[in-house]
Amino acid sequence: MMYVDSISMRTKTYNQFILITEDVRRIAAESGIKNGMITVITKHTTTGVTVNEALECLESDIAEFLERLVPEDHPYAHARMLRDYGSTAGNPTGHLKAHLTGNHCHFPIVDGKILCGGAQEIYFCEFDGPAHRTINVIVQGE
Amino acid sequence: MFIDIHVFPAFYEPINEDEAMEELRHETLDIHKNGTAALEHIFNQMRCAGLDKLTLLPQDYNTQQNGITLVSNEEIAKLVELAPDKFIGFASVDPFDPKAAEKLEHAFTQLKLKGLYLHPGRLHFYPNDAVAQPLYDICEKYNKPIIFHSGLSWEPNTLTKYCRPDTFEELAASRPNLRICLGQFGWPWCRETAMLMLKFPNVYTDIGALYFDCAREFLTQMLTVDVPRTWIDRSLRHQVMFGSSNPRFEQIRMAEVIGKLGFRESTLELIKGQNAIEFLGGLD
Repeated sequence: MMYVDSISMRTKTYNQFILITEDVRRIAAESGIKNGMITVITKHTTTGVTVNEALECLESDIAEFLERLVPEDHPYAHARMLRDYGSTAGNPTGHLKAHLTGNHCHFPIVDGKILCGGAQEIYFCEFDGPAHRTINVIVQGE
Repeated sequence: MFIDIHVFPAFYEPINEDEAMEELRHETLDIHKNGTAALEHIFNQMRCAGLDKLTLLPQDYNTQQNGITLVSNEEIAKLVELAPDKFIGFASVDPFDPKAAEKLEHAFTQLKLKGLYLHPGRLHFYPNDAVAQPLYDICEKYNKPIIFHSGLSWEPNTLTKYCRPDTFEELAASRPNLRICLGQFGWPWCRETAMLMLKFPNVYTDIGALYFDCAREFLTQMLTVDVPRTWIDRSLRHQVMFGSSNPRFEQIRMAEVIGKLGFRESTLELIKGQNAIEFLGGLD
């Protein structure tokens, strides 16, 4: 059996980490699936999904780490008019940061609960906000 | 006060209840994959960019679109009513429309719109053609400014020959009391725009162009090299306004970059807001 739902939100800043663990747990419960896998995957290419401990200090460190690896002031090739969009691509850092965090995560579901460590939380990562965003959540099992 | 003088709200949610019209707007403007934007999102963008107000421009090319107005004056008035502290509304009429003058009078007197937007390249008229003169008479009568598209336009069915900066010289010379803005700095003919501003104090421009590279690279080239920074900082500082041409170009990064180009703080204040207030004839 496969159950699909989504989480939508309007992000408020250019870069933003948003905890979505409780939304994912709610969808897992609503799916009715007792044993299986849950996948959380963003629909966008300038956002990420990652798992880490939900601490303000770590959010700051991760943001600074990504900023060091992908600085705003760099001669990226992805800075040009895109014919498909009719606008200038100004978000290479968003694409590259998303590339680093990845766009999804998986967890097992056992006896109706998401099997994860006590420190593990699921983050949605905005790297080109503000924007309207959607994250798909897929539960597979029985 | 930080004002974006050049914003197209074609994809704002409150005026996109009709899917067919939204699709027509995507096709006509050649802007895709952006969806529609709730006002909450627009306000978030403004906050991130540090913007206090946006000047919203309608787009009326109805004689070329079977009588359909792409974004109407009434829709602009509706948006202004939803956020009067944030939005300044302009009018647009198609000069070839027999009712253009009547519609413009209505837009100024009844809808209380603050100026006129025209795209000569899209409508295929030269700025000083007779067909547009009645509209200029009305703008002078009500002391309303005009924003023209100038230079390259990405919109389909546009011809740049109609909006190259030097085509505005006769208009600027013949109507010294009419404030006109040559949008997009007339890119790539930025020096022609600079020439006109130097010669005519009623000519303004905005910086809403980003046709190559990123905002930092393009605006550095346009505003410090193509037009040397000193020309703007010393001589043209009362005639250059911040504009983004959003959603074509990225408002947030352009807003950030303008503060990093080396202009005097007093010049920045003019570019970011004071010149727009002068151009508009004040904020009320």
